[in-house]
Amino acid sequence: MSKLALLLATAAVAAAQDARQIMQDMQNRQKSDSQRYQGWLRVADAKNKITEKRWTYDRIGTAGQSKVVIRFTEPAEVKGVALRVVNHPDRASDQWMWTPSLQRDRRIAFQDRSTRFFGTDFSFEDLEERDVDQYDYKLLGSERVAGKECWKVESRPKKTKPSQYTHGHIWVEKDRLVILQIESFKGDNLIRRIKYTDYQNVQKIWTPFQIEVEDIGRKSRTTLRTEKLEYNVPMKDDRFTLQALRRES
Amino acid sequence: MMLLRLLTLPYVRKHLLRTGLTIAGVALGVLVFVGMRTANDSVLYGFQQTVDRIAGKAQLQITSGEGGFPEEVLERVQAMEEINIAVPVIEAQVKTGLQGQGNILILAVDMTGDRSLRSYDIEEGEDAVVDDPLVFLAQPDSIILTREFAQQNNLSVGSKVSFDTMVGPKSFTVRGIMKPGGLASAFGGNLAVMDIYAAQHVFGRGRSFDRIDLTLKEGIALDQGRQAIEKLLGAGYQVEAPSQRGKQFETISKLFAVAASLNSLFALLIGLFIIYNTFSIAVAQRRSEIGIARALGATRAQIRNLFLLESALLGLTGSLTGIAGGLIMAKGMASYIGQFLGDLYGVAQHTEGLALNPQTLLLAVGVGVLTSMVAAWIPARDAARIDPVKALHKGSYESITASENRWRLVTATAFVGIAAFCLVTGGTSGPKLYVGYFSVVAASVLATPILVRALILGLRPLLRLVLPVEGALAADSLMQSPRRTSATVAAVMLSLSLVVGLGGIADASYASILDWVESVVNPDLFVGTNEQISERSFRFPASLGDEIRKLDLVDEVQTVRSTRVNYRGTPVMLVAIPMLQVQGRIKPKVVAGPANVFEAAAKEGGVVLGDNLALLQNLNVGDMMEISSPSGVLRLPITGIAIDYTDQLGAILIDRSLYLKHWKDETANLFRVYLKKGVTPEAGKQQILMRFGSQNRLFVMTNRQLRDYIVKVTDQWFGLTYMQIFVAVLVATLGIVNSLTVSITDRRRELGVLQAVGGLRRQVRQAIWMEAAGIGLVSVILGLALGGLILYYYLGIIREDMAGIRLEYVYPVKIALLLAPTMLAVSWLSALGPGESAVRASLVEALEYE
Repeated sequence: MSKLALLLATAAVAAAQDARQIMQDMQNRQKSDSQRYQGWLRVADAKNKITEKRWTYDRIGTAGQSKVVIRFTEPAEVKGVALRVVNHPDRASDQWMWTPSLQRDRRIAFQDRSTRFFGTDFSFEDLEERDVDQYDYKLLGSERVAGKECWKVESRPKKTKPSQYTHGHIWVEKDRLVILQIESFKGDNLIRRIKYTDYQNVQKIWTPFQIEVEDIGRKSRTTLRTEKLEYNVPMKDDRFTLQALRRES
Repeated sequence: MMLLRLLTLPYVRKHLLRTGLTIAGVALGVLVFVGMRTANDSVLYGFQQTVDRIAGKAQLQITSGEGGFPEEVLERVQAMEEINIAVPVIEAQVKTGLQGQGNILILAVDMTGDRSLRSYDIEEGEDAVVDDPLVFLAQPDSIILTREFAQQNNLSVGSKVSFDTMVGPKSFTVRGIMKPGGLASAFGGNLAVMDIYAAQHVFGRGRSFDRIDLTLKEGIALDQGRQAIEKLLGAGYQVEAPSQRGKQFETISKLFAVAASLNSLFALLIGLFIIYNTFSIAVAQRRSEIGIARALGATRAQIRNLFLLESALLGLTGSLTGIAGGLIMAKGMASYIGQFLGDLYGVAQHTEGLALNPQTLLLAVGVGVLTSMVAAWIPARDAARIDPVKALHKGSYESITASENRWRLVTATAFVGIAAFCLVTGGTSGPKLYVGYFSVVAASVLATPILVRALILGLRPLLRLVLPVEGALAADSLMQSPRRTSATVAAVMLSLSLVVGLGGIADASYASILDWVESVVNPDLFVGTNEQISERSFRFPASLGDEIRKLDLVDEVQTVRSTRVNYRGTPVMLVAIPMLQVQGRIKPKVVAGPANVFEAAAKEGGVVLGDNLALLQNLNVGDMMEISSPSGVLRLPITGIAIDYTDQLGAILIDRSLYLKHWKDETANLFRVYLKKGVTPEAGKQQILMRFGSQNRLFVMTNRQLRDYIVKVTDQWFGLTYMQIFVAVLVATLGIVNSLTVSITDRRRELGVLQAVGGLRRQVRQAIWMEAAGIGLVSVILGLALGGLILYYYLGIIREDMAGIRLEYVYPVKIALLLAPTMLAVSWLSALGPGESAVRASLVEALEYE
């Protein structure tokens, strides 16, 4: 009996280590010092009413230690509004919003991270970078998604990384080690499903050019198209400060 | 029941007017009682409704007085383990500029997280606009309105609507419309939601919030959460459930409630005499019927119970009538009180209908019926004692026996003794003040028959001098019916004393306030954010004061910041002023402390208290005062006490430097501006308006205009007092009308006999008029005298328990001079109808009457 228990325990640790290794390898393959792209957001609500927005995305630093600035460029009434995200390896990110018409910044409270990101189906939390070390993993097996053979991995946030989600299921394509789908849960309830498609190899990094988020409860869908993507663009750290937000608004 | 049918119903049918007047006696008292209490309850309920609807799911609310607190506090609270959601709030009442809409309550929130706490059911508009806070946040002119408000003003999504802001009227864009119910019904639907950071800008709030609304994590008890927050923030903050916020409002509205309750009870006491009078006469008129009923076997208890039942039914009818009238009155009063409290205390409430309190209604019926039965007790007892054999004998029942007179004299003297004892042994405050007050009223009532007799004896020669026969007849008639006469006089005397007391308070208040205005309100101009100085939704940056100071016509500018802080559960006014500057310009009336009271406070880092606050809270010079501030609890010495009518709940004056240090708030509500010598106020006002009027929301008042405004606010405050005076005069009138109607009708036979033996109609008519004048005159003399005494006690109650204001005793001569002819005229007019009816009635009918 004790031998069986030991065997099972060892198998479980091995499976966990395998899952973590898969995630770690995937993160390593996508590593870059900086990233820039133009995003095109398309939100379709339950009644299929469409709204669109455009933004520019700048990132400096790598997973868990990166800084991100998103600036809205369209439509005209939101032009200049910016979001600054500072990710931390050991805790939840800090986020600020800049409103040019008021010439002031506001901090997005941690409690608000579960709310929708400005009418899209992303939550503020979904914009955070997910460092491998902030989650515990478990390999659930293999499944096919969009015709590709995938690892199915369960992720659970560590106590140091509080999250609105209790756990998530991640499908990682075995060949390219890229994520094809994530399902995020609160208890037994599926909250969001994110599909990553249209992968293109940009500067040796496989990158999804289309991300589709589905809010299961609201039955609405947001599509993010990526354009003009570049990695390792020279960027200065001081472009990611609150002062820079004010300056460049 | 049979007795009721045989004895009561025919009598009531025959004397409908009299019955109606008696019912009115009870109804008026109940009307005032129900009206004022229901109006107060409705205002309080309206306030609580607004609080609850706006609170949404919030379990606790954090405030720090009215002045708000720095933004950083929010992050500290949000970081707490016990907190689930914590969101900032700013509330402001602003004028809409839309015809007939009055004020609208602006609820300013952070839309990124607030929807977790409050439900904004958006009815119209694109989902992307309201569901997506981005456009809402990106455009600071965004507002969400309620459907009710939008429909009333023909507004839809995309419409523009103008509200007052710090930079003058500003156009806002409607970006969403809320469905009715819940949040949308707060403040009667006159609600607009906007972004909190935009609100900071348009209301000049700097980087501060008014309040934090929060929910706790699952498993955290309310008390546990509250204690944790209090520990984190310190005592400068109030952490309470939304339902607790009504308590502060109760403190404010208590001022109205206490006065109203006292006066309504007084009105019922007056009603008691009216009922007593009616029943005394009713018993007298039905002596023969009572005698027959007794002869046929009715027991004494049955007769007594019959009259008590009659009185209970009259009381019940009067109470129900009073309740109906009271509710009508409450509807008007609630808006008046609500508007007044909103203007003066900046309280966000909207009275949305009457809050019917079953307790109030039951109490009203109980008090009305009980008053009626108490009043009828002596006549009922007398009725039961009637000897069937003597039942047909008339006259003796109306007299007061010598032994009763002795008893009255002894008891009245005892009450006078108690009142004197209270007065001599420090009865200017506490229970002794009230014991003294009630003793004086009791002594007056008990001594009324004796005093009435003495006065009529004194008046007899005067009446005879005017008209020898008619005057003598009138005086004798009054003296032969001492119970009836004294009950009427008692009712009218009490009413008039109430008028003198209330009028005296009003006179003394105006005198004291104007005296205070004269001593401290001496700047040439006042620059405020609103035409109402008390309004504090908008604030100026302090730099505006410096800019005004640079104008060539301006000599000096004093920056004032006033805000409410919670002191021992009462929201008192904290007034931050540059004390050294102020000391150089005004001569405050110092009650305690050095003459240069502001200078001393500035140097010692102390506070100057308004006299009313010191009295109400029993504070003296040298005491340490604990004041909550966002930096924690300050312990400041009281260095002086001065007369100050800035606020009815009391004012704490501190130096502006202390306020800046501990409240970290550089804004201002008001600038006191002194102009250079020779500059006219109008020229100074024009220069300020020309220079700053287009960029800022500012109102410039001249000294004269501010004084007029203070008088206007005082008028508003005494509006209720005047209404009570009106009711008191009405009760007095009712007492006289009732008494004379009853008295003249009762004596139709006697008057018929007088005519039968040769008396001319003119003589009889004039005798009745003189009798009425006699009652009026005696009532006025006693009422004005008792009013003088009552005024003394009222001033004491105001000083000790209501407002803490030391009002000087000044007898309201003008009111007395106005009352005397008015009541004499009322007496004469009351006698006209019944008198004419009596003299014109057929002699046969008159002689057959009864």
